[in-house]
Amino acid sequence: MPKEGRFMAIITVKNLSKTFKVKLKEKGLKGSIKSIFKPKYKVVRAVNNISFEVEKGEIIAFIGPNGAGKSTTIKMLTGILYPNKGEVNVLDINPVVNRKKLAYQIGTVFGQKEQLWTHLTPYDNFKFFGAIYDIPEAAVEKKIEEFNEVFELSEFINTPVRNLSLGQRIRCEIVASLIHEPKVLFLDEPTIGLDPVVKENIRTLIKRMNKEYKTTIFLTSHDVGDIEKLCKRVIIINDGKIVLDDSMENLKYHYLNKKIVEVKMREKVNLDNEEGITILKDKGYNLKIEVDITKKSVTDALKLLNPENIVDINISNIPLEDIISTIYKEGI
Amino acid sequence: MKKYIFIFKSELMSNLQYTFNIFVGFIGYLIMLFILFNLYRYLYSDSSEIINGYTMNQMVWYVIFTEILWSVSGGRKFCSKISEDVRGGNIAYNINKPYSYIGYSLASHLGEMFIKAIVYTILAMIMGYLFLGMFPSLSILEILALILISFIAIVISSLLVICIGLLSFRIEDSSPIYWLYSKLILIFGTIFPIEYFPKAIQPILNYSPVYVTTYGPARLFVNFNLDTFLNILLFQLIYLILAYLLCALMYKKGVKNLNVNGG
Amino acid sequence: MLTAVKNQTRITALSIKYALMREMLNKATFTSNVVFMVLNNASFIIQWVVLFSIRDNIGGYTLKQVLLLWGLAAMTYGVSRFFFAKAFSLSNIINNGKLDSFLVQPKNVLISAITTDVSPSALGDILYGYIILFIYGFSFGTFFLYTLFGILGGLIVTAISVILNSLSFWFQKTDVIAETGNNLMTNFATYPDGIFKGAVKLLLYTLVPVGIATYLPIQVLTEFNLVKLLIVLGFTIIIVLLAFLVFYKGLKRYSSSNLMIARI
Repeated sequence: MPKEGRFMAIITVKNLSKTFKVKLKEKGLKGSIKSIFKPKYKVVRAVNNISFEVEKGEIIAFIGPNGAGKSTTIKMLTGILYPNKGEVNVLDINPVVNRKKLAYQIGTVFGQKEQLWTHLTPYDNFKFFGAIYDIPEAAVEKKIEEFNEVFELSEFINTPVRNLSLGQRIRCEIVASLIHEPKVLFLDEPTIGLDPVVKENIRTLIKRMNKEYKTTIFLTSHDVGDIEKLCKRVIIINDGKIVLDDSMENLKYHYLNKKIVEVKMREKVNLDNEEGITILKDKGYNLKIEVDITKKSVTDALKLLNPENIVDINISNIPLEDIISTIYKEGI
Repeated sequence: MKKYIFIFKSELMSNLQYTFNIFVGFIGYLIMLFILFNLYRYLYSDSSEIINGYTMNQMVWYVIFTEILWSVSGGRKFCSKISEDVRGGNIAYNINKPYSYIGYSLASHLGEMFIKAIVYTILAMIMGYLFLGMFPSLSILEILALILISFIAIVISSLLVICIGLLSFRIEDSSPIYWLYSKLILIFGTIFPIEYFPKAIQPILNYSPVYVTTYGPARLFVNFNLDTFLNILLFQLIYLILAYLLCALMYKKGVKNLNVNGG
Repeated sequence: MLTAVKNQTRITALSIKYALMREMLNKATFTSNVVFMVLNNASFIIQWVVLFSIRDNIGGYTLKQVLLLWGLAAMTYGVSRFFFAKAFSLSNIINNGKLDSFLVQPKNVLISAITTDVSPSALGDILYGYIILFIYGFSFGTFFLYTLFGILGGLIVTAISVILNSLSFWFQKTDVIAETGNNLMTNFATYPDGIFKGAVKLLLYTLVPVGIATYLPIQVLTEFNLVKLLIVLGFTIIIVLLAFLVFYKGLKRYSSSNLMIARI
């Protein structure tokens, strides 16, 4: 038994696969009648032989385009879905065998699904969740008080959930899933549909949780901001397969050997056929180029443009969003 | 009128995909029929006995017919749909549309029920024959007259259900009212004919919706008579107009209140 | 084990309480639902008064006994629809992937899923059941038995619904089948068993166990019989266990919200 050290794996996934049978339906009356008597199915591989590990205290982003298998994976990790093949271990518990035991140790927030009673106040909801996890009443009350302070809930803790804003609701959803002090928290699209300010709030909350309670966080999101601001490690899944599992730094570094240069010039410059330079946009005096710094340094590129000739300039990294969508499109 | 026929047709087409549900639903109808068949077989000591003017065969056919009318009016779902429209504010969107809400609801409801009516009628006739080994004797012309009467009966039921649904303008949940209405129709006109009730209340029932929506058509089915036919038709027309006017009035008043309250 | 049962009971009670509170937010609607359901049930008294004017004995039942039959049927229906309302739309919950939130809780998934809602009108059914008992003749003995049978019958009806609805783990469009099955139980439960003969009667004590949920209890209420009581009790335990078994067997095939129908 390894000591609680830095390299203890909290989640282990080995060769995990999940397939769904999808019923095909043909159009029209004939199709409907046919589908009653002779349904046709198509087998969809939602998750295809994936393996990875997550360490204690990590905040990990599990991302991918729609239908890539993110939710399916998260659902297998939390015991909602049964895998077809492979092994899952969360906190040394196999979700298939011991769903209830695992449930005491993990928390889940599904951004699009509400777990709270909307006619009750957050306070009553938290107490309800306390009861679900068999926490003695006094302990729950203490916990709520603590959360009230740490996560600044006092403003709305006694207002029925249905009267709360979407952001406040999500905050309560997250806090409700923390009542039993889970060791791992699964967040599926926690910031979906929220405005930028609220998003920032939620991110702060997640960070604080990770710091104060050492909660391991497994997060899926379409929001690059979530990923960039929270996570140190990213797993990208596409078509049911893991296409990238790397640290945030490496991911950026890998693509950081390219810079985007936008310039406004007095005279036109011809950069065709220059090695290491790709022209992204050319509107006469306005030019947008991508410089591959392994082939041409930024200084050399600027020399080609002639500093005397430049009216305005902006040099930037490739946005993470573009990096990710390139990976989605091309794989690695 | 053309657009309502179009609504009717498109609702009918889109309901073709629920044919399976209709067949399964018929099992429920069949069970009900089976129970009542057993009940009447028990009540009649022999087939020649006449109770309240009906032979056993007539009684069973009567019930077969009223239960078809009952199932085909599909009131419970229809009523809650109207209620939903009112409470969910859907009705407010309809104000600006170039058709009447009542006409629209009626056309789409009838379209929805059309296939069910055909399937139920055919299957129920077969079942009745299997139970009793005979059909009521009817000429082609009489059958056509019956179809007309039954159609109007369903239209009237639907309008009455719309009225109850529109009560949601005033009370939040109109479904309790619907339960009561449906139970009255069920007891006073579906399970047995008006003749089963004490003489004193028969005249009241003869003027009630029961007469035009269930009892009348079913009585014609088991014992056709031109005078009764004309009488029922007349009452049906009166009811049709009154029910429509009531619906229109309730809709108008309801929408007006809606505007005042800003929806 | 015992603490687990205690905790489960506590959370189930809490869940039902909160669901009831939600329904009571609008007092007028709540009350009218309850009252009108009592009236709705009472309207059938007319039907039986009319039928008993033809014969004084229908299927071995007197008018009073038929009323008791109706009362118990309403109790059974009410208990199942009030405490386990969602058991009757379980296939929707399964098909729409709404079991997720119960699966991540350390509690029994089936119990949690079916106790998140109550039906106020079902309270009217229970109330009606007791009104009928008072008309029939109240004694502490019958009150106790009547309540017991109401609960057992409610459990049987709920279990059957769970089994039928769980079919949607395997097949499509089972919701209509489940609805028809549930209606079938109620329809039979409101008519005396004496009007049925032979194979049908056998069916009523097996495949459509109305006989055990309603007819036997009426016999016990009319004339106490321990064996019959134990049969009802034993059957309830078996069918409830069966319901759990079928549900949990199906749960392995649960596909959350990933079950889509692709159109070509």
